Amino acid sequence: MNDEYNTILADFIVERLELGVFAVDAQFNIVLWNRFMHTHSGKSAQSLKGSNLFTTFPELPESWLKRKIESVFALGNYAFTSWEQRAYLFRFKHNRPITGGVEAMLQNCTFLPLKDEKGKVEFVVITLQDCTDNALIQQRLAEAITISDEERRKQQELIVKLEDAKNQLFQSEKLASIGQLAAGVAHEINNPIGFVNSNLGTLERNVTDLMKLMAVFESKEAELPEAAQQELSKIKKDIDFEYVKEDLAALINESKEGLGHVRRIVADLKDFSRVDQSGWQIADLEKCIDTTLNVVSNEIRYKATVVKEYGHPPLVECVPGQINQVLMNLVVNASQAFPERGQITLRTGEEGMYVWIEVQDDGVGIPSENLQRIFEPFFTTKPVGTGTGLGLSVCYNIVRKHEGELTVRSEVGKGSCFRILLPIFHGKMGESEELEAAHSVPQ
Amino acid sequence: MINGLNEDQSAALQELANIGMGQAGNSLALIWKEFVHLSIPRIAMVDASRLPDLILSFVGDTAVSASRQAFHGGFRGEVLVVVTARDRNGLAQLMGYEGQLDAAEREEVLLDIVNILGGACVGGIAQQVSAEIGFSAPSLIGEDLDPLDVINPEQLAIDTALSLEVCFQVENRSLTAHLVILLPNNEVGALADLLDQFLCTLEA
Ligand SMILES: Nc1ncnc2c1ncn2[C@@H]1O[C@H](COP(=O)(O)OP(=O)(O)OP(=O)(O)O)[C@@H](O)[C@H]1O
Ligand SMILES: [Mg+2]
Repeated sequence: MNDEYNTILADFIVERLELGVFAVDAQFNIVLWNRFMHTHSGKSAQSLKGSNLFTTFPELPESWLKRKIESVFALGNYAFTSWEQRAYLFRFKHNRPITGGVEAMLQNCTFLPLKDEKGKVEFVVITLQDCTDNALIQQRLAEAITISDEERRKQQELIVKLEDAKNQLFQSEKLASIGQLAAGVAHEINNPIGFVNSNLGTLERNVTDLMKLMAVFESKEAELPEAAQQELSKIKKDIDFEYVKEDLAALINESKEGLGHVRRIVADLKDFSRVDQSGWQIADLEKCIDTTLNVVSNEIRYKATVVKEYGHPPLVECVPGQINQVLMNLVVNASQAFPERGQITLRTGEEGMYVWIEVQDDGVGIPSENLQRIFEPFFTTKPVGTGTGLGLSVCYNIVRKHEGELTVRSEVGKGSCFRILLPIFHGKMGESEELEAAHSVPQ
Repeated sequence: MINGLNEDQSAALQELANIGMGQAGNSLALIWKEFVHLSIPRIAMVDASRLPDLILSFVGDTAVSASRQAFHGGFRGEVLVVVTARDRNGLAQLMGYEGQLDAAEREEVLLDIVNILGGACVGGIAQQVSAEIGFSAPSLIGEDLDPLDVINPEQLAIDTALSLEVCFQVENRSLTAHLVILLPNNEVGALADLLDQFLCTLEA
């Protein structure tokens, strides 16, 4: 191949390549402008030959581009721009006017030094490659990755929620099984209490009999010989017989009272967890409150005075064991809201097809920024190891399962009031006549 | 002496790098119309596994940005440039950027630094040993990186690398750039051959 052919071939390539090619001299005058550049800029090579790049295209970023081209002249090295950092050099329409969705042709540019025989850079040739298609693919890929990242994040969130739900379930199950345990223990205690109680009854009778006998003895004491009388009175004095006589009756009475207390607690415990009769029942909410108060009485005795303002609402179809749990959580929370001592007021009432219970305290109250969050699982303001922050979330879920509502009003420094609203009927028991019958029973 | 090169070759390489950077400094001063000082390059052959430590020893414990560029021709390899974050704005002004840089422009400056310094250094050496060298478009390694995270030696296909450290200062704007030339093991031989040829022409 001779030089002439080479030149023709080179010209052909420069002209026909799907690539913008142009060249400038050290004064930034255009010395080469190929067909691609012509087509896209609308300016022909003839019209541009010799004219200054920056006067012809004033929209070019002059100060930066000058420096860039100057550095290629000075250093004799390649230079580049990439669409990722600089979308384009020339603002050309891109080749995807319809399906593209980008505003202009995205370009990768290469700046090439064209050197003379002595190695001095005579011209800088700039090629301009349309990267719109690649860029679009890349953008879609990036979008797809973002979407799948987003999806992963959502999954992660779901996993966390699931974990929360599991913990809540665990917590409420734990409470339930504590209840069961308590009921089991209560049942076990019931038997010994039974015979202690009956023994105590026998003991009381026996002591009364014994006392009768003693009274007769004492009335005959004067008839005994002097020595025997002296001996008796010495012993009586030693054992403080007069006191023993009185105390015996008191002891037995106190024991009976104490035992009665134990029996009530045991009965309440059984009532509270209702292992024997779990599930949906028709219950008297005021009785629920009373048993709950008995169970937690130790917890709150030294912190709160309890005031009941009962409105005697109708019986309600509910799972009493669960409602007891809710009440217990609310009462315990209330008792923990007092810096010193306070008052817990328990109210009940009826409202249309609903019955409500209010647990009000005059404690520290809840700041408004926390008010949104107290029903969240694990939200607690109590010191580590004290509260799990699950109490209210369990309450919330139980009430929701009853198709009721758990709401709160609170003012910092004044106190809080939690309100449980429960529908009277659920139809969960199948025989709603039973419920209606229960309601019509005169009290 | 540099591992893989004999004493003459090492000396020649150091000399060529000096001249190359000197020329580059002069050329840059011409463009930027400010005095450009390039330190004498410190050249060493290092174990690839030690590269993260080397970069840390260059810059100290500070966040860095890094870019890379491949070259090919008489010998092949990659240039890596590490700069500390605070150096960038001054340089951007020299490069003709106006106003506050946006994220894309900050990346572009990084790409230009590796292009200019890599071109000056590797191009300078290549020119003097009469090797034709071409450069691919540079790409970004990352911004605000821990110096130890710039290179993961496990992902390198080489055992040793030629490290060339230059400090680069323009009047009162100071920019310290660290340049590492990564040569595949078999390319050190190619470079050695070119250096030998160069030494022959000197003697002739
Ligand atoms: N009556 C109340 N007065 C003031 N703050 C309350 C009251 N009831 C609940 N709170 C606030 O709501 C938070 C959440 O209560 P929740 O019962 O869910 O958890 P807890 O009481 O902290 O822990 P746990 O019930 O597991 O012992 C409490 O930490 C407290 O800050
Ligand atoms: Mg609680």
